[in-house]
Amino acid sequence: MMKRVLITGIGGQDGAYLSQLLLEKGYEVFGLDMDINAQTCWRLHYLDIYDKVNLIRADMADSKALLDAVKKSSPDEIYNLAAHSSPGSSFRLPVECGEITGLGFIRLLEAAREASPQAKIFQASTRDLFGAGDGSAYNEDRPYKPSNPYAAAKLYAHWMARIYRNSYGMFICNGIMFNHESPLRGIEFVTRKISDAVARISLGKESRLALGNIDAKIDWGYAPEYMQAAWQMLQQDAPDDYVIATGQVHSVKEFTRRAFQVAGLTWSDYIESDAGLLRPSDVVIQKGDFAKARARLSWKPQVEFNRLVEIMVEEDLRRWKRHLSGERFPWDVNEK
Amino acid sequence: MAKKAFITGITGQDGSYLAELLLCKGYEVHGIVRRASTFHTTRLDHIKFGADDKKERLFLYYGDMTDSSNLNRVLEKVQPDEIYNLAAQSHVQISFEVPEYSAEVDGIGVLRLLDAIRETKLKTRFYQASSSELFGKVAEKIQSERTPFYPRSPYAAAKLFGYWIVVNYREAYNLFACNGILFNHESPRRGENFVTRKVTSGIAQIMAGKTDHISMGNMDAQRDWGFAPEYVEVMWKMLQAEGPADYVVGTGCKHSVKEFIESAFAYVGLDWHKHVRQDARFLRPTEVDELRADPSKVARELGWKPNVGFEELVMIMVDADMRALGLKPVGKGDKFLKEAFPSRWWGID
Repeated sequence: MMKRVLITGIGGQDGAYLSQLLLEKGYEVFGLDMDINAQTCWRLHYLDIYDKVNLIRADMADSKALLDAVKKSSPDEIYNLAAHSSPGSSFRLPVECGEITGLGFIRLLEAAREASPQAKIFQASTRDLFGAGDGSAYNEDRPYKPSNPYAAAKLYAHWMARIYRNSYGMFICNGIMFNHESPLRGIEFVTRKISDAVARISLGKESRLALGNIDAKIDWGYAPEYMQAAWQMLQQDAPDDYVIATGQVHSVKEFTRRAFQVAGLTWSDYIESDAGLLRPSDVVIQKGDFAKARARLSWKPQVEFNRLVEIMVEEDLRRWKRHLSGERFPWDVNEK
Repeated sequence: MAKKAFITGITGQDGSYLAELLLCKGYEVHGIVRRASTFHTTRLDHIKFGADDKKERLFLYYGDMTDSSNLNRVLEKVQPDEIYNLAAQSHVQISFEVPEYSAEVDGIGVLRLLDAIRETKLKTRFYQASSSELFGKVAEKIQSERTPFYPRSPYAAAKLFGYWIVVNYREAYNLFACNGILFNHESPRRGENFVTRKVTSGIAQIMAGKTDHISMGNMDAQRDWGFAPEYVEVMWKMLQAEGPADYVVGTGCKHSVKEFIESAFAYVGLDWHKHVRQDARFLRPTEVDELRADPSKVARELGWKPNVGFEELVMIMVDADMRALGLKPVGKGDKFLKEAFPSRWWGID
């Protein structure tokens, strides 16, 4: 019988790739998002799956809507990807972030406990739980030190996943995902901001790129592979928590240099630093140790750093060229 | 000019003691009370209807931790020098029944308050009632400020969120904000659905012939139990310190629920085996087994040391519950209180 899945945050980068993956595996896909019109779900159009998924408009603040969605989809698997996913903005809208990122998950858990207690649940946890890294590789056993309201809300959800697993025997996994990027990354994230800027500079639409802390070293992976890992977690015999990462770190500076190089440009000609882009308590160096995922899930990342940057820059170049030649299609960048 | 304090959870055990302490120190005390069909301020009645001037300096407002605009408005009006956030859905087992509400009040509530401080640009000091339940499935036998957390209930997870938000705001905005990681602290004002009070009020009921037994859940859980009035003193001390920090507060001794039951029944000369029944309904889905504080930091930095030990606490609580039912207390608890606290600042229970 066809498996059924419910994905929250289906309009986001991860939601789109996960939908694509599960459609390929023959799942019937139900997805939630706050807004499900064609523009906000541009990623589903990009992957050409907008018409293949069942979209449900629901807010993670609305317990009743979540319960209805669980009843309607009657899922075998639930992936909670909905979040206010930008740590920087979580200092500006902390209550809203806590409501969606933290409490949204408990509302979903309660809905699942009531209507689909057998459903296997994936919670998108994050490396932000660990706070500023010390350069060493972080595995599942490291203590948590969230340094912004987003991370604190994610940590709340992370613990609730474990508490429900232990208290009620529910099948719930935390995927402690390190940064994962792609051409579907939101434009507010630094990698995409760079790849988009490089494309525009390369096509003469822009001349400068302002960046905050370019020395931050980050463990960057390729998003579709991370969704593969999420799916694998739910196919195991028992639920557990897993770090998903590449184990390699690169600085924002390296990302920038490589991105300009892909477009045949020299990065230092275009950069200015902007102190306003620094977050109040910023995460500095952090590397993931995915040994457990490798051992238990046989998962390992395939797309390495240079290739990741290339994929992103090439896609943004392609989009801008299409756009400038007059073609119109849904995406998240508007010409200024 | 009198200092102004704002207390959330002022109608609770800790809030009512803290209000009294601060009134004795000359503060103006402002607090919010949830609207309910009955006005549940019994723990403050002896202040409100007292003979001295304290009632003139106590101000209560309707308020709720789930209502940001209400919190903003009250803070704007009060302009407190110190804020004590004691409001919580504070019952661990009930948090499994109402996990979302517990998170709204115990977790997001902290954020609403801190955000209100930032928005109203108040210069104020902030105390957050954190809890030993954060340690949950304990990583170390004795828990200090450096022990990693491992929450095991929706209550503890929500409190942990509040804890980190306080740390975030202190680090990001330089706010004078402290977490008091308080271990269990009891008193005659403890709610009757908490284990210690359930035992002592149950004993008074048995002595009064109103019932012949009490029903208990897990009796093997071990806790570090102190006396609440001493714990609210340390809250105040934290906000008078040079700089903000987090402190573990406890006695450093642990006792099981069973020991509490044994001591309390023995105190009134009853055999507990005859009056205690185990009831699975009171078992929690997941239980925290052993909590014991390492209070060395709070002793060293704030000079705090508890006077009331386990046996004294049991006697104080049993005496108060017997008195409340019109029985003559055994009296050792009352006598101890009189000797240990000659200039006692809190009203009789």
